[in-house]
Amino acid sequence: MATREDVIKALSTVLGPDGKTPLTESDSISGVTLRDGKVFAAISIDPKRARELEPMRAKAEAAIKALPGVIGAVVTLTAQAERAAGPASAKETTPAGRASTATALPGVKHIVAVASGKGGVGKSTVACNLAVALGKLGLKVGLLDADLFGPSAPRLFGLSGRPNMAEGAEKLEPMRSEGVKVMSIGFLVEEGAPIVWRGPMVMSAITQLLREVAWAPLDVLVVDMPPGTGDTQLTMAQNVPLAGAVIVSTPQDLALIDARRGIAMFKQVHVPILGIVENMSYFVCPHCGGRTEIFAHAGARKEAEQLGVPFLGEIPLDAEIRAHSDDGKPVVASMAGSPQAEAYMEIARAVAATLETGAPGAKPAPRMRIG
Amino acid sequence: MAWPTDIAALDGGTLLEVVYDDGVTARVSAEKLRVESPSAEVQGHGPGQKKTLTGKENVRIVGLEPIGNYAVKIVFDDGHSTGLYTWDYVRELAG
Repeated sequence: MATREDVIKALSTVLGPDGKTPLTESDSISGVTLRDGKVFAAISIDPKRARELEPMRAKAEAAIKALPGVIGAVVTLTAQAERAAGPASAKETTPAGRASTATALPGVKHIVAVASGKGGVGKSTVACNLAVALGKLGLKVGLLDADLFGPSAPRLFGLSGRPNMAEGAEKLEPMRSEGVKVMSIGFLVEEGAPIVWRGPMVMSAITQLLREVAWAPLDVLVVDMPPGTGDTQLTMAQNVPLAGAVIVSTPQDLALIDARRGIAMFKQVHVPILGIVENMSYFVCPHCGGRTEIFAHAGARKEAEQLGVPFLGEIPLDAEIRAHSDDGKPVVASMAGSPQAEAYMEIARAVAATLETGAPGAKPAPRMRIG
Repeated sequence: MAWPTDIAALDGGTLLEVVYDDGVTARVSAEKLRVESPSAEVQGHGPGQKKTLTGKENVRIVGLEPIGNYAVKIVFDDGHSTGLYTWDYVRELAG
């Protein structure tokens, strides 16, 4: 059976609308859906060029059909206008007065928060691997490390040094690792130097990391949140429309109680919950192969059922994940195909699918106008 | 819960009209929104601290800004702009 990755790979052999860049790098694929061996894909183009780009469409369709296990393929051309988050549409939304519907980040389609109530449940490791995994699915991904007091993205992505200013724009160029654009306060202060800030400083730093970094173009910006429900969470929830939140928890009650608080906070500000990830779900002994459920098991799955939110998957407590994280080589990239990497890929597929169809409970922003 | 599809300041900014997806249209005067602003400036930091404002009959709305997925920030012509009105709160004020 063909996977989403196979389809993306097939599409990378076709040249995009400009006739030079492969389709997958041209930022024009607006959707890929697989159902029972049938593939539907949409390429967004300038509607005026529809006739001229018909051969490109046909080639893309043929490339997908040629994949083993694909019964049928339909590739459609759609008008670019649908891509509301783009910079072009942001201009149109300020007709009269100061009303606007777009405080969204221009050029960033979806912003996803990775959060937990409690610290130490492996949020940053999950966020990092989720970002790399989403990239492997063919999406353009960024990771914003919003944990100002304990930034971990530099270590997890094996990055050091300082970011440069982007050319021609008053913005910081994000660092890059494993195909992911990464920005963290950790690049801007000495390693080991503490950040001792009150709320207003936190709020302005988060706003800068969002708006004064050259993120665009991105399909998904993954935000690694600090634990808890404080200034950072509130700033994120107020500053940009979040596509949803992924909640990370260990299966033990102590963590689940806090996870519930986190979920309640997101619900209060109408951020859809994309689902719960159970991290450190179980431990498989490398010596005897016996499985130990250190923090109990399936607690997060039960919690998800009770709260009526999706359960995204389980990640084992695993020495390889820990070691690769400390080495700055996310397992999804450095151990691709391993069961550990697959566990993350599974979660990434679920998240990508939900983002495409819209999270349950997600509603479009209301139109606002004056006059 | 009901979700707003359209939020408009009408009649020279003296009236806010919110259309919800359940068919209800809520209308609230700028004056009421101003004196019932959910901001700490008006509500204080606890029960019993609420301020009663007067002289706001002619206040006008000059700006509407979305706040995340859940609220609208209303800017008034008297300079007040710290109230974040959640979708439910506007409906509640409409009565």
